[in-house]
Amino acid sequence: MLSVKNIVKQYATHRALDQVSLEVESGKIFGLLGPNGAGKTSLIRIITQITAPDSGEVLFNGERLNSNHISQIGYLPEERGLYKKMEIGEQVLYLSKLKGLSTAEATKRIKFWFEKLEMENWWSKKVEDLSKGMQQKVQFVATVLHQPELIILDEPFSGFDPVNADIIKNEILELNKQGATFIFSTHRMESVEELCDHIALIDRSKKILDGSVDEIKSTYRNNTYWIEYEGDYETANAKEIFNVLQAENIKGKTLLKIQLQEHKTANEVLSALLPYVAIHRLDEVIPTMNDIFIDKVKRQDYE
Amino acid sequence: MNKVLLIIRREYLSRVKKKSFIIMTFLTPLLIAGIYGLIGYFTYKGIKDTHDKIAVVSTNKTLTDKLVTDKNIEYKYVDQALDVMKKSLKKSDYDYVLYLPEFKLEDPKGIELFGEKQAGLSLNGRISRDIEELIRNQKLKESGISQNDLDQLKTSVNIETKKIAAETGKEESSSAGASTIIAFIAGILMFMFIMLYGIQVMRGVIEEKTSRIIEVMISSVKPFQLMMGKIIGIALVGLTQFILWIVLTFTISTIAATVLIDKADVKKITTSAEGNQIAKGTEVVTQTQGPIGDIQKNLAGLDFGKIISVFVFFFLGGYLFYSALYAAIGSAVDSETETQQFMMPVMMPLLLGYALSLSVVTNDPYGNVAFWLSMIPFTSPIAMVVRMPYGVPGWELALSMTILIIGFIGTVWVASRIYRVGILMYGKKTTFKEMFKWFTYKN
Repeated sequence: MLSVKNIVKQYATHRALDQVSLEVESGKIFGLLGPNGAGKTSLIRIITQITAPDSGEVLFNGERLNSNHISQIGYLPEERGLYKKMEIGEQVLYLSKLKGLSTAEATKRIKFWFEKLEMENWWSKKVEDLSKGMQQKVQFVATVLHQPELIILDEPFSGFDPVNADIIKNEILELNKQGATFIFSTHRMESVEELCDHIALIDRSKKILDGSVDEIKSTYRNNTYWIEYEGDYETANAKEIFNVLQAENIKGKTLLKIQLQEHKTANEVLSALLPYVAIHRLDEVIPTMNDIFIDKVKRQDYE
Repeated sequence: MNKVLLIIRREYLSRVKKKSFIIMTFLTPLLIAGIYGLIGYFTYKGIKDTHDKIAVVSTNKTLTDKLVTDKNIEYKYVDQALDVMKKSLKKSDYDYVLYLPEFKLEDPKGIELFGEKQAGLSLNGRISRDIEELIRNQKLKESGISQNDLDQLKTSVNIETKKIAAETGKEESSSAGASTIIAFIAGILMFMFIMLYGIQVMRGVIEEKTSRIIEVMISSVKPFQLMMGKIIGIALVGLTQFILWIVLTFTISTIAATVLIDKADVKKITTSAEGNQIAKGTEVVTQTQGPIGDIQKNLAGLDFGKIISVFVFFFLGGYLFYSALYAAIGSAVDSETETQQFMMPVMMPLLLGYALSLSVVTNDPYGNVAFWLSMIPFTSPIAMVVRMPYGVPGWELALSMTILIIGFIGTVWVASRIYRVGILMYGKKTTFKEMFKWFTYKN
């Protein structure tokens, strides 16, 4: 539903985005990853039409991005804020009217959301009387209230306590089920693995990785396993099957991190070991997004 | 457009509903009326209460008449030596001792006034005038004019300044005094309004920036819409306040005037003030011929409808002109403390316009300086309203208005280009160079 094509954005001496292209599919949760200052926010500001690219274009449902799309997009910026002296209800009403909702419709929806997130009696409170986490909830409501097709969340979980983060996560999943597309921008990888279908990694204004989470993970697994057993085994005997990367002995148990030789399988490892030792566990080491992220960014540093 | 209206509505309502706005709006006219009331009351009381008893020690044989006692000053000729009087002054109930030695009429020397306290300027002037009067009468008598003729000589002259309107040829009464008062009030009000509301715009922009709501806002509206909505919304707040002030001040002062001061007192003040000048007041002084009545009459001669509508126009124009600049400043900084370096260049022309308008322009409302000050959009809002009460030719007014409109379109354009970049810049110290760079950014 959203195609970003060869975007370039130059600030005076600093190139924020360099030929970045992305494809966000409808109904998916898309993770936009990258270290601080990589250009994530610049890209989001272009998608939300806060700034315009120097070259390249953004298509929204096949149409070149224009001001009619503003009401189709909900944006929760990383730098969050509300008018301090304004009442919560008034404020959300104002923001959603700016997105084109009528007063009646907006009021109805605000009531619905406030009830859902247990904030019914917040209507006439002022922002300055709310805690940070409470303010975030208000902003989340303001972001999704106009039922946008595309919801962009910049570091959505920063500032939430675990309970509220969970509530918000569930709301995101529910909205996604109803058909909303999400773009998640974050440098915290844990949240990505659970939620995202697809990710793109941006580092130093360039896109360096793009693909579905499963795909990326499988490319990055490298036949590494944890194996734990009781008994004695001379690992040198199995050299053709695996290499030992790391070995530990704890109270008579042995814990090994091994890497299979090419074309070997975990079954072969087991059959080699079974006659001699009692196997307690065998796990494949799947790289976390965090590992991949760090690995990718570091590798960039070398080049 | 609809979005701009929403923004205007919010900016307007959020300010008008504030307690401080309501208090300011209702308290200021009360304060102004109160201050003027107090000034009036004390002036009146001062005139009524001044009563000095003066012992006159005269060794003068030339003057045949004596100093005349009236309500505020009592001259008592005493038959004692000066030294004795001076010594006993403390115990006696006289306030001062006036010594009139023998002197030639052409060269009156050696007149002295002794007192426990230093005699004030007005008392001093009053006594000198009385003595001068006495000497003049003496001289006139010596040249053979009878007392009767002398009394007939006294006339009170009051020039009624009338201005002939160029277009209609109609005579309008005008008064330098009344015009100057109105000009001062208008100039000060204009300066205050532009400053106060311009700074409100700046504060509003800074608030949006520091509270970080700006990013949410400009993902829904264009920066230009947000800026204009804010500027117009605050302009309406200013207008509301101005109209309320006028209505309230008018109501309060009318009520105060009718309730507190009864007519007879006003008459007494004017006649006694007049009477002082004429010494032996043989003329019946009517109320309207006193200085206060004069101003009252000429105030009525001024076209308030026109002055107020011109004021409103120049307030809006001048405010738009400056508030756009203030918005640009607000967008470039992170907090109010950082605004100083940018405030100076914006404040300077306004201050200069204010200072020059209240000095040069009120002295010579038709001169070259006045003309140019009322044309340059940086100073014209103040200069023009200061000139208005004196009367300004229609074409000058039209030209000045046109220039101001062009001027504010210009500043709004410049400011909006700086604003759209500035509002997204956090945590950086901005310089003028950088602001210029922002101005040239494409988008």
